[in-house]
Amino acid sequence: MKWIIDSDRPIYKQLVEQIELRIISGVYSPGDKLESVREMAMDAGVNPNTMQKALAELERMELVFAQRTSGRFITEDLKVIEEAKKKLAVQEIGAFLEKMKKLGMSRNEILALMEKIEEGDKEDDHLKH
Amino acid sequence: MTILNTNNLTKSYGKKAALSQINMEVPRGRIIGLLGPNGSGKSTFIKLAAGLLVPSSGEIFIDGQAPGALTKAKVSYLSERSYLSDWMRVSEILVFFEDFYEDFNRIKAENMLKDLAINPDDRLKTMSKGTKEKVQLILVMSRQAELYLLDEPIGGVDPAARDYILNTIITNYKEEASVIISTHLIADIEQILDDIMFINQGELVLSSSVDEIRETHNKSVDGLFREVFKC
Amino acid sequence: MLGKLIKHETRATRRIFLPLYGALLILTIFTKLVMAIGAPDFFSEAASNNTIAEITLGISFTLYFILIVGISVMTLVMIIQRFYKNLFTDEGYLMFSLPVKTWELVLSKLLVGLLWSAVCTVMIVLTFVIFSLGTFSMMELTQAIQAAYQTFFVETGMNLNLFIAELALFLAVNTVASILMIYVAIAIGQLFSQHRVVAAFGAYIVITIVLQIIGSIFMAVFAIGNLDILILNGRSAMSTIQWLINGSTILNVVFGAAFYYVTQYIMKNRLNLE
Repeated sequence: MKWIIDSDRPIYKQLVEQIELRIISGVYSPGDKLESVREMAMDAGVNPNTMQKALAELERMELVFAQRTSGRFITEDLKVIEEAKKKLAVQEIGAFLEKMKKLGMSRNEILALMEKIEEGDKEDDHLKH
Repeated sequence: MTILNTNNLTKSYGKKAALSQINMEVPRGRIIGLLGPNGSGKSTFIKLAAGLLVPSSGEIFIDGQAPGALTKAKVSYLSERSYLSDWMRVSEILVFFEDFYEDFNRIKAENMLKDLAINPDDRLKTMSKGTKEKVQLILVMSRQAELYLLDEPIGGVDPAARDYILNTIITNYKEEASVIISTHLIADIEQILDDIMFINQGELVLSSSVDEIRETHNKSVDGLFREVFKC
Repeated sequence: MLGKLIKHETRATRRIFLPLYGALLILTIFTKLVMAIGAPDFFSEAASNNTIAEITLGISFTLYFILIVGISVMTLVMIIQRFYKNLFTDEGYLMFSLPVKTWELVLSKLLVGLLWSAVCTVMIVLTFVIFSLGTFSMMELTQAIQAAYQTFFVETGMNLNLFIAELALFLAVNTVASILMIYVAIAIGQLFSQHRVVAAFGAYIVITIVLQIIGSIFMAVFAIGNLDILILNGRSAMSTIQWLINGSTILNVVFGAAFYYVTQYIMKNRLNLE
């Protein structure tokens, strides 16, 4: 998976977000062992210190835990992951609704448009298969 | 012990001060960008740390010692210039480095040469400037030093090699060692830096971590640099 | 570290000198063979009947002299160039970042410079020996040497060996001091921010003049002092010469030491690579 890092925000925060996303979306399964800090840093093209900071933050968020000798692992606590998923979804929806408000769309307009798009997606899926 | 620190470090040429009253500390295990416009004193600072220049006043310490034969064994310096003898073959230069530097890892150097498709039997004078620079960089990064001083390491290099170089710096990372990279190509290396120091007209204008800058100014270091040093 | 510096210095210089000395040896042996076979009386007044040999030898000897002069010049050029180019141009960035002491850098170059100077002299002598092989017997040689020692002792009351030793010492010390004088001139040139090469030449000339003056003063002082001893007697003339030689040797040691110290000081405290 590619790492998307832009230049205006602290890198470690962006790393935290993207690792969190991978955990929530299942790219990293609960209980998975993470690669070493150095390997992850190399993969992302960032300073190991920065990656270390990101992982420390994830540990604080309890999404990741460290076992002294064996390395870092994704939490097996599904509740924590579920919580993070909800929190992220709420954030995304909040941001989305904000944007829609700026466009001047009402709640019903938004829902109708959403259904239409979903229908369209389903048709595309049928056509593909 | 900090790997590098200075007290009112000043270097003047006649009346002109290339560096004036620099006070700074570099902890171990950091990758630091030394940034500033051309002629700001970056090279002078690096040369002072490498022991190639003597301060006019003030002090500079590498691991608590003034620059000398002992500190040079701990410092790996990459010059902006091509400082290798043209008549030598790459293999002969490897022997040279092995002889003088106990911490030189020959195998590592040979592997990197292979990665960049450089033939160790070639003589330097047959190589392009870019290739010579790569050879120099490989030699410097193959040392297990406590302080790496890289003066414009990615200046004349193609983007692919640039990535390789930055990658090498990351993978080389050791908790006990620090890397100081002097460059004006900030955007390309910002991602791997821990801290930065802005130097302008011989003075230390700003010393901060990259994260702090991004949080405080909501822009990248490159963005801030352009703002601060707008022509 | 000094040993390593010497090793690399030797490596850097021998690639120029070994081929040259190789060529010199081959030329000498070739010439000798042509001489021995074709024109054994080349050096005598007798007319030769082998023109091909004569012509070949003419060319050979010309080449020989060119080579000798060339090698001698090259030795001097190398001494200058190795010090200047390797330490004060781009290569200096490498040399001064090595974990070595400044005096080690100077000493390594000095010793290798001395080495090649010595080799130059030895090789020239060797070619003379090769040329003169067979023109006299060991018997003749031994007799000639013995006669020389005898005559010398009779004339001067001194053993020729001692004289030769003093001369050799003088030559060696003089070579060292000369090399160091070149180094200090280059180092002084480095004190300037521009036109460093010109400044180095200037410094060299100034030092030469100063040395001449000091030398003349010494000559005057000591000549006046010994004027009354200067009797036209072999023994006393010899002691004068001895004083001259040994005095010069001592002067060279003093100057050489001064040059070494100044060079080293400038490199350590006033280094300013471009």
